Amino acid sequence: MKQTLYKKRINRSLVGDLGIFVFLGAGAAFTALPLVFAVSNAFKPLNELFLFPPQFFVRNPTLQNFADLFTLMGQSWIPMTRYISNSLLIIILGMAGNLFFGSLAAYALSKHDFFGKQTINALIVLSLMFAPAVLRIPNYLTIAFLGWIDTYWAVIVPAWSSTLGLYLLRNFMNAMVPIDLLESARLDGASEFCIYWNIVMPIVKPAWLTLIILTFQQLWGLTGGEYIYSESLKPLPYALDQIVKGGVARQGVGSAAALIMMIVPIIVFIINQSKIVETMSTSGIK
Amino acid sequence: MKLPKLGLTTKKSLKGYLYVSPFLIGFFAFFLIPLIQTVVFSLSELKIVTTGYTITPVGLDNYNTALFVDPDFVPTLTNTVINTLIDIPAILIFSFFIAVVLNQKFRGRTLARLIFFLPVILTSGVVAQMEINDVMNQALVQDAEFMLGGQHFVSFLLGLNLPPAFVQYIVTVVDRIGPVIEASAIPILIFLAGLQSIPPDLYEVADVEGITGWEKFWMITFPLVSPMILTNAIFIIINSFTSPRNEMVRFIGENTWSRGGYGVSAAMALLYFLSIGAILALVVLVTSRRVVYLE
Repeated sequence: MKQTLYKKRINRSLVGDLGIFVFLGAGAAFTALPLVFAVSNAFKPLNELFLFPPQFFVRNPTLQNFADLFTLMGQSWIPMTRYISNSLLIIILGMAGNLFFGSLAAYALSKHDFFGKQTINALIVLSLMFAPAVLRIPNYLTIAFLGWIDTYWAVIVPAWSSTLGLYLLRNFMNAMVPIDLLESARLDGASEFCIYWNIVMPIVKPAWLTLIILTFQQLWGLTGGEYIYSESLKPLPYALDQIVKGGVARQGVGSAAALIMMIVPIIVFIINQSKIVETMSTSGIK
Repeated sequence: MKLPKLGLTTKKSLKGYLYVSPFLIGFFAFFLIPLIQTVVFSLSELKIVTTGYTITPVGLDNYNTALFVDPDFVPTLTNTVINTLIDIPAILIFSFFIAVVLNQKFRGRTLARLIFFLPVILTSGVVAQMEINDVMNQALVQDAEFMLGGQHFVSFLLGLNLPPAFVQYIVTVVDRIGPVIEASAIPILIFLAGLQSIPPDLYEVADVEGITGWEKFWMITFPLVSPMILTNAIFIIINSFTSPRNEMVRFIGENTWSRGGYGVSAAMALLYFLSIGAILALVVLVTSRRVVYLE
């Protein structure tokens, strides 16, 4: 019954629907193309990979590239599981810290008044403006000063103070969390932390789920680069990168590794987005 | 132990600081101190010696070199700024539109969202370094040129009696459609999160009152998501100016080790920083006056 009511109200023409569909389709084709290419590349035998001009679709699909990749991974000096657990540790700790500290600060900056708040707000936007690449040398000096070179902390702790998350969460809290709701919670005797954790965070759940995707994406790509030297502390992308850079003959292995590097964020994205749908029904404020 | 009696405002203030402090510590260590160091470097000559580095103050020499001696700095800067200014409205409109469409309930919605997020996955980190990316980019460019076949498109637009300046803008945007779609990936997600934070009861009320979809969009969706327009505008500017693929960022990076040395590149970075700040201020001013709805 309700369904039919809705249907009547949506007064959109069929032509408009079609137009939107075509537009979306064109955009989707444009962005999906590289993925299709990457997938088909991963299944190409070596002789097809070197064809010029490159062929879009694979003609004789083979699993040889993956077999080679796993063989090479099995032969590495440090066991692959070690690289994987390094990556997991960095991602989980980095993400959790960034989310917790960022949202806590965002809550205070959005819903509390205190001296110096405007200055901090301004500093946050300023910090976003500075390209991370430019601060590389001073950052290295700071981390060296703290004695964190060649430890996990060198990559985890800077992730905690990344301002993008704080900025996003603060703006969402400004826009979406009504101050009356917090006032009434205070009257009922809720503690500040309780308000933050039980009221504000659930309301901005779509925002921090989005932030999780972005942070994951950032941390997943980390190779440890200039901060981590010990082979046994390096994350997975570094290991894959090394295998791939073994020469021209590793082209096939490279496409297989690239596919693995893409699949993981894709899975995270899908799980994450399915969580957002749930919040739609629960985020209502009465 | 008994704490001294504090006024209510002071207590509130302290609590605020307590919540912000973990973040502030990190912020000072990883942003503010490096920033001050960069300012110092930009005013001096830096030499690497065996024990570390030495700095000799040289005044504004480095700034002089960046602005008036280096032949590439100013043109690269203006180029980057102009390109970004062209992209901002296009990215905003495109990502808002896509987000509204992707927020509706339909089959395969997650897949559709994923597809628009793909550019972020494909262009970041290790995937981007791997060689297949070159081939992919070539394929993409050809693809775009094929879809929007150049000259015919222009004459079609002019045939519609549109003002030439507008046509010029459209054509420029179409030229950059690849980068625009790529840059829209994260703004789409932010808009989506904004759309999903709108309390559903508002729509229920609207349904009861018998409002059309068109009115719903302009009277509920748009005003409530409009703060996100400003958020996104700032994000887009920052993202495009600081991405490692930005012309200017690469230029400064290369400069660190080759041409002018660290002092000059620090000066360039600060000049670049200032110009981003100016653009940001301008955009915030324009957007917050025009678009944003505040209670």
